[in-house]
Amino acid sequence: MMKNFKVLVPIITFLFISIFLYKGLYSDPTDIENANLQRPFPEFKLNDLMNPDKSYNKADLLGEVTLINVWGTWCVTCRVELPFMTRLSEQGIRIIGVYYDNAAEAVFSGVDLIQTQQDVKQMLSQLGNPFRFNIYDVNRDLSLDLGVTGAPESFLLDANGVIVAHRRGAIDERVWEKEFAPLIRQLKQGG
Amino acid sequence: MHRVFNIIFIFTLVAFPALAVEEDYPFEDPQQAKVFSQLVNELRCPKCQNQNIADSNAMVAIDLKNKTYQLVKEGQSKEQVVDFMVQRYGQFVHYDPPLNWLTIWLWLIPLSLIAALVLFVIKRGQREQKDETQVSVDKLAQAKALLQQIEEEGEKK
Repeated sequence: MMKNFKVLVPIITFLFISIFLYKGLYSDPTDIENANLQRPFPEFKLNDLMNPDKSYNKADLLGEVTLINVWGTWCVTCRVELPFMTRLSEQGIRIIGVYYDNAAEAVFSGVDLIQTQQDVKQMLSQLGNPFRFNIYDVNRDLSLDLGVTGAPESFLLDANGVIVAHRRGAIDERVWEKEFAPLIRQLKQGG
Repeated sequence: MHRVFNIIFIFTLVAFPALAVEEDYPFEDPQQAKVFSQLVNELRCPKCQNQNIADSNAMVAIDLKNKTYQLVKEGQSKEQVVDFMVQRYGQFVHYDPPLNWLTIWLWLIPLSLIAALVLFVIKRGQREQKDETQVSVDKLAQAKALLQQIEEEGEKK
């Protein structure tokens, strides 16, 4: 009995180490879950990007399932996802943009709002405009509250403003069908 | 003269990245400056993974540094700032994770390994000692017999 046990110890140890290392082989260190998942969207009060006289708060996001897209014209990946996002909005998904300045540029030389508005207009007319409106996250406080690490990032809110899904990086057809579409069907059935 | 240059040269080889960060973030209160310096060295950049926010120039690290500066200036304690960041970016953002049911294994596994090894070494030591005394009794008898044999042979001659 004792002898059998002694033979088993190295085998079991080896198995555990193998499983542990094997899992590490395929784990993505950048795949860290956003801390805000399943939490209500943070409160904010920010102005419209194109029309600074208009201001928004959390109440403007409630009422229906909404995709919040954190983006900027300086961000190449955001450009890539714009056409697909536009198709989504044509299918009836409400998409609201949170405009995220290039932080390094904003800190070192400052950003020119007029220039940004022109860039946005030009880019959206070229690649499609999926946004109902764009919230200008002027000091990136909202993005910080959301735990955003860069652009693009997207958050799916249910009608009560709870964050039910999050994506770091571009959303394409594959990601949408796998991670977002089933959730939306579920939310619409439930509501 | 040569020596002085050498000494100066050696000092230029030493970099002070943490100090360089603090120059951009002035504090009147040295205590706050200390807290800020500890924080930027302990908070981890969520984008670049293996850098603290003091060393990183990623965009999000710049924003986190500015936020940390703002919060410390407002008089928040180190724990409050860490909580603020963890609330938004998860435990990942802090290089000093708390002890909980998941992280406790990081301490328990090495400790139990050490305990098992010590136990193993002690047990083996005891067994070897036993073996040694047994062997020496046998060998002693053998040696005595040999000695006697030699003595007898010597007497014969």
